[in-house]
Amino acid sequence: MEQEPTDLTCVDASIRLKVIGVGGAGCNAVRRLSSDALESISTAVVNTDLKSLNACPVQEQVMIGQKTTRGLSAGGESEIGRMAAEEDRDSLIELVDKQDVVFLIAGLGGGTGSGAMPVLAELANRKGAMVFCFVTMPFKHEGNRRELQAQNSLTQIRKHSNAVITLPNDFLVQHMNEQDTLLKALAAGDTWMAKGVISIWSMLFETGIINADFASLKKVFSQKRGRALFGHGFGEGANAMDAAMRSLDKCPMLHLPDLNTSQKADALLVHIAGGLDLTMTQVNRMMDALRSKFGCRDQIILNAVTKEELQQSVSITVIGTTDLGSKPQRLKRTPAALLSEISQEPVHRESKRGKRNSKGQNQSEFNFPNPDENRGIFEETEQNLYEGEDLDVPAFVRRGISIHIQ
Amino acid sequence: MSQRKIIGAVEIGTSKIVVLVGEVYGRNSMNIIGVSQTESMGVSKGDITNLKMASDCVHEAIQSAEKRAKVSIDSVFISCGGHHLDGFPTTGRISVSSPDNVIGKEDLLRVAEIAKGKSLGVGRVYLHHILGGYSVDGEYSNTPLGMFGKELEVKYWNVSGEESKISNSLHIINGFGIKVDDMIISSIASGGIVASEEERKRGVLILDIGAGTTDYSIYKNGVILKTGSIAIGGDHITNDLSLGLHISFNNAESLKQRVGKAIIDPMDRNDSVFLFGNLQIGDAPVSKNAIYKIINARIEELMRILQNQIGAVLSEEVLPAGVVLTGGTSRLRYICESVRTHLKLGARLGQNPSWVTDSELREPEYSTVIGLLQYALSSRRPSKSSKSKKNAGWMRKVTHLFTTN
Repeated sequence: MEQEPTDLTCVDASIRLKVIGVGGAGCNAVRRLSSDALESISTAVVNTDLKSLNACPVQEQVMIGQKTTRGLSAGGESEIGRMAAEEDRDSLIELVDKQDVVFLIAGLGGGTGSGAMPVLAELANRKGAMVFCFVTMPFKHEGNRRELQAQNSLTQIRKHSNAVITLPNDFLVQHMNEQDTLLKALAAGDTWMAKGVISIWSMLFETGIINADFASLKKVFSQKRGRALFGHGFGEGANAMDAAMRSLDKCPMLHLPDLNTSQKADALLVHIAGGLDLTMTQVNRMMDALRSKFGCRDQIILNAVTKEELQQSVSITVIGTTDLGSKPQRLKRTPAALLSEISQEPVHRESKRGKRNSKGQNQSEFNFPNPDENRGIFEETEQNLYEGEDLDVPAFVRRGISIHIQ
Repeated sequence: MSQRKIIGAVEIGTSKIVVLVGEVYGRNSMNIIGVSQTESMGVSKGDITNLKMASDCVHEAIQSAEKRAKVSIDSVFISCGGHHLDGFPTTGRISVSSPDNVIGKEDLLRVAEIAKGKSLGVGRVYLHHILGGYSVDGEYSNTPLGMFGKELEVKYWNVSGEESKISNSLHIINGFGIKVDDMIISSIASGGIVASEEERKRGVLILDIGAGTTDYSIYKNGVILKTGSIAIGGDHITNDLSLGLHISFNNAESLKQRVGKAIIDPMDRNDSVFLFGNLQIGDAPVSKNAIYKIINARIEELMRILQNQIGAVLSEEVLPAGVVLTGGTSRLRYICESVRTHLKLGARLGQNPSWVTDSELREPEYSTVIGLLQYALSSRRPSKSSKSKKNAGWMRKVTHLFTTN
């Protein structure tokens, strides 16, 4: 996901953007990200565990809760994580001060991530930064306690963030083979995070035929506590645009279980990157399609960039926020946002390795929002009713058989 | 030199349109002299959904069949399938009219009229009345004419279809200046050739799993007991795969043909296979288990619906000859095993008769159209030839409802 370093040198200096990993999982994620995509974006890590901080190559490090934990980590207690963060409030404020956009990354369910992340989000928010959070949710088999801790923390985080993108661990590894390394499974999560970070970075800093800027980003994410939606599609070939739209339809991030009911967005930010042959007609057609897909009437912000190396290929990223479809009794609504990626090189590079992040990798178990929308080639035909079921909808969907690809 | 007679058969299927041209020699032999096939467009789940597109495809197929056979066709037999078809039994009962209680021709006609007389709903027409046998004073009889008895009863299996859908196919053929000799529902057409006479006597279920629909017919004592159609076919399997694995329909189809199995094979539990298998961009491994689960869910459901529709007849006592599978989807690996498990009946793959020499035409997806051609042959040469005699039993029972204007 390298943006050419040269691009970065002309980055608008007035917009500052920082990626901060919180807790063990967050630190690891940032480390992996920085070794990969985000070399040029400033990164930082926050942890209670001195040992793990020492092992982390990231330059900017904040050790929190030295008094509370003696540098021996929060031991899976989010309360301790919170106390540790409170203790070192000042250094955290320093960390997020004067930033325009802060990305917070953590694995929820443990101590430091769950405990310190809400504090950090609050501080960053107070300091006037836009806060985008990427959090992984614990595996089911980690038990209810961790799940509860994660949910509580998520609730807190959402209060202070412009967008929270949750990545359920279960979802991320479902498609993995048994023999796959843990590292590979976790890297899948990092890939999504990277896509999100890069798409927003790209919107802010890359110059394109149609520009969205910081103001429009702010506008889309001004309302907090909505639900977020995030998707990415990539296509290439003669009909790159169509292919990208199809791939977006299939984007697993739009099929996360908790997004089941809301594929609608109140506000939508669309980032499109294509070759120099990208035409206005294509863009308009795509916007029409997106508008109807996400039921978004009022606010769509478009950012389009063209790049020579993207000849014959198109990538679409949508980030939307919505209040629709979130039930009041839900713990909280997610602020909304999804991110996506833009992917220029990232996708190319991954494809060469034979893994496809945007499409293949994370699709594993799909929950179909509405059976009526899943009739495939039978879409246009009359319903095929038998005992109240539409036989054109896949049998495995109607019978709730979960399919684990890969 | 015997006079040259040309017969034609057209099947408008969900996935393909096949046209066969046969040349009849002497009394009982036939050569297939023209074959053509086009990909079907404008047909979904056995129904014509786009008349113009379907029509163009059919015309193209007929034209190229004529070209290959170097003859022109005047009239054809066509098959009919789809979910709109409905089958139901009727019974007619009369008191024998003559004072001496000898059953006469009149009685037969009268009882038939009663049995066939059930009026259909608006927009529906009869396609076939299939004679299921007579009984005289409660005793089963094949040939009641001339017998003594007070009460004569007849059973029919009736097949009706939606008039608009049937006339669509007729219009397409007529639009090319060709007459339709008769229309035969596809399960009867294929059933007649894939199961042996012996099997039809003992009791057999013929399951024609096509691309858009599954048509079945049940034979017992040499006559059709029941026919039916379920709107599930191979396309549904492909569509399930396409949606479940998020790949295009065409890729799903080739995946199905490449690795599809109708059972969940525990041997392959941890195996995976490449989606496209050609190293194209976006190719990725997918667990075979996922593929089998998707296919199996569909097949299992199909079998369940079949059981519900057929009911108690679907038992080893009634159908000792088991199930004969045909249609394109019968090429799915292990489908016989799957059918055996779900229906608890023996199952085998049907084969087209040995007189079909073209190796491609011997594949199960051509059973219907070959059955049509054979039906065309036997109806042209009524009763005398040995071949038609063999088939006359069931053939004659199919009444011709449609003859074109």
